[in-house]
Amino acid sequence: MRHETTTLALLLLAIGAPLSAAAQSGNPYDGDPAAVRAGRALYGNRCAECHGADAKGMNGPDLTALWAREIRDELVFQTIRSGVRGSVMPSSSAPDQEVWAMVAYLRSVSTVSPFESTAGDGARGEEIFAATCVRCHRVAGQGGITGPDLSLIARVRTRSALARSIQEPSASMAGGYRPVTLVTMEGERVRGVVKGEDAFSIQVVELGGRLQGYLKADLREIVREERSLMPAFSADRLSEEALDDVLAYLGTRR
Amino acid sequence: MARATWVGTWAAVASLGWSTGLPTPAAAQTSGPGIAGDLGAVTYDDIRAGLSDPTRWLTYSGDYSGRRHSPLTQITPENVHRLVPVWTFQTGTDTRGRGFETTPLVLDGVLYVTGSNNYAWALDARTGRPFWQYRRDLPDDLTYGASAPVNRGFGILGDRLFMVTLDAHLVALDRRTGGALWDVELADYKIGYAATLAPLVVDGKVIVGNSGGEYVTRGFIDAYDPETGARLWRFNTIPGQGEPGSETWPDDPAVLAAGGGAAWMTGSYDPELDLIYWGTGNPNPDYHGDQRPGDNLFSNSLVALDSDTGKRVWHYQFTPHDLHDWDSNHVPVLVDMEWEAEPRKLVMVANRNGFFYVLDRVTGELLLGEPFTSTTWAREIGRDGRPIILNDGSQGCLPDPWGGTNFFPPSFDPNLERFFVTARETCSTYVPQEPENEPGQSNFGGVVWTDQEAGYGALRAIDPRSGALVWEFLYPSPTFAGVTTTASGLVFAGDHEGNFIAFDGETGENLWHYSTGSRIWGPGAMTHMLDGRQHVLIPSGTTLVAFALLDARP
Repeated sequence: MRHETTTLALLLLAIGAPLSAAAQSGNPYDGDPAAVRAGRALYGNRCAECHGADAKGMNGPDLTALWAREIRDELVFQTIRSGVRGSVMPSSSAPDQEVWAMVAYLRSVSTVSPFESTAGDGARGEEIFAATCVRCHRVAGQGGITGPDLSLIARVRTRSALARSIQEPSASMAGGYRPVTLVTMEGERVRGVVKGEDAFSIQVVELGGRLQGYLKADLREIVREERSLMPAFSADRLSEEALDDVLAYLGTRR
Repeated sequence: MARATWVGTWAAVASLGWSTGLPTPAAAQTSGPGIAGDLGAVTYDDIRAGLSDPTRWLTYSGDYSGRRHSPLTQITPENVHRLVPVWTFQTGTDTRGRGFETTPLVLDGVLYVTGSNNYAWALDARTGRPFWQYRRDLPDDLTYGASAPVNRGFGILGDRLFMVTLDAHLVALDRRTGGALWDVELADYKIGYAATLAPLVVDGKVIVGNSGGEYVTRGFIDAYDPETGARLWRFNTIPGQGEPGSETWPDDPAVLAAGGGAAWMTGSYDPELDLIYWGTGNPNPDYHGDQRPGDNLFSNSLVALDSDTGKRVWHYQFTPHDLHDWDSNHVPVLVDMEWEAEPRKLVMVANRNGFFYVLDRVTGELLLGEPFTSTTWAREIGRDGRPIILNDGSQGCLPDPWGGTNFFPPSFDPNLERFFVTARETCSTYVPQEPENEPGQSNFGGVVWTDQEAGYGALRAIDPRSGALVWEFLYPSPTFAGVTTTASGLVFAGDHEGNFIAFDGETGENLWHYSTGSRIWGPGAMTHMLDGRQHVLIPSGTTLVAFALLDARP
């Protein structure tokens, strides 16, 4: 760790920017490989216990999802520095360089480069999205809530990962969107995604977008579904060309 | 009118008993309340009497046995569904990283409660309203204390309360005002020490242990004079060079000085044998064992100490040469019971390593060691008392570092002869890394990947004579709640989603629950009689809630 701290100190000298100025302009170490390496080591020692060795969440939330919404690096810095009031996330008295290094590391494992391929017509993709996807997904404040918000999805998912999610949605289902079928005492089957659960109750967003809580004592059965609520848009359902169009549309959303 | 208001306000402020945490001048000690002889003062015999006066709860576990079993029967499996909240106290202080872990003490209608960030209060047990608040000026550069700013309770003797602090001190407070009487350092917090446990007060001694096993620290169990704060003895959990147990370490003073073995949970006491039973924590660094070949005594052990001298009488090590942070900081449960048709003095420990143990508490002889979780690490304790390792991590996942259970207390019901413990089932992969070994920096020596989907929790009822599971109640997540039982056959427990739950100890049926809104992390319920009405208290998040039967009126 002494070695890493020296490296950071040297980096700071090389950049020549006093840290206060750097704080205004964002992370002084953004994308810097040495800082990212240092940040990874620091993260492993101090954060992984709660947020997972891969930052995908454990007792603490998935940090790789941070940049899927509008977030400034300064806010991530501040959250590490101050902790989160009312939660179990503690504050940190580590030097500023170390906190910035951790931010740089987190950003490096969270965000992806812009799509390389420019195949597809984004305008046509937007039409397809409005006709097919907006029932369950939101973009820029418009759309349904049953599935994840896709406003900035291209920041954190590669093109091929997105294509797979569209064609085989059950292969990888996001946390907070676990599919479930609740069977009421009358035999009615309610499909939805789980937002919360404890030993006695379950809170779901139903397929139509309604928030509903149920007491487990009032349910005949809870079926943990293997298949996503999202239909599989395989090639017979969404042509290659149409898929390219939708991906082009989503690719512009960064 | 305005002037009268000012005066009233200042008087209220003056009575709050804030402490600056500075050493108290000697004069204050002699002018403060004494240890013995004052009307209403708590004596050693009072604590020894345990819960036989059920209007009282005078030590962390209720009594010295650690069984956490109340004789109260007003609340029963038949009427517990009529339990309602009576009052809520809000602490106004956040607990970052952990939970509200305290067990309130109660005496003469006054609750004595410690909270996070070393706040503490005396509360009216009828209404939850404070008489006084203690607040400590903690330093800005806390080490372990910053990541776990918790406290698990007071000790009490005479008219004094004893509390350990996040900057590794022990303070004595005037029970009537919260004013500090003396304040002594246990160890240097800058290295990584802190203290969070509820002190155990025995005859003329306040017994405490340290936190900070993930820092370059060396664990200890100490005894202090309740009058003056002078240290009477110290037991080092990690031996010095040449001392007994040192043969299980490299002969390197630097390694020994950073050996870990923190002693951060309140122990139990047998007054007849005059033995203190205390659990010890993991060796340091947690996941990387190359610098510490050997069994690493007395880490991950139960030690039995002579209460007069602090000398070790016997020990049993649950997990030799631990590589998974499976601290053995548990409340030892002392039970007198027939064992193979003979009356026997036993100690029971449900261990973080996933095994349930029964030992003879006179000699330390191991009588039983059976898994109470579905651990893949080992399934059997060998004849030599050592676990037979089936999986060192190369044969699939292991229980996570927080283990098959943790510090939160279990309970033993002597009528059912049944042991209740909150169990955790998890699946983790450990990746050791070269550790840092810097004073003031935590030092795990690796990272851990945990399969979130695979984890769950359970309240388990165990037959102590066989280790067999009698019943279990499953929780959706691995949970950190303690357990308390009562003589009417009730089991009070909780879960990670915040439910405070009552079970029938015989059948395992869940009878009542209340959603407190924050995970039940650490505490077991406390119960006491007040004005003819049985109260049950549970800390959760930033609240302390008291429950009683709807129709039992004072």
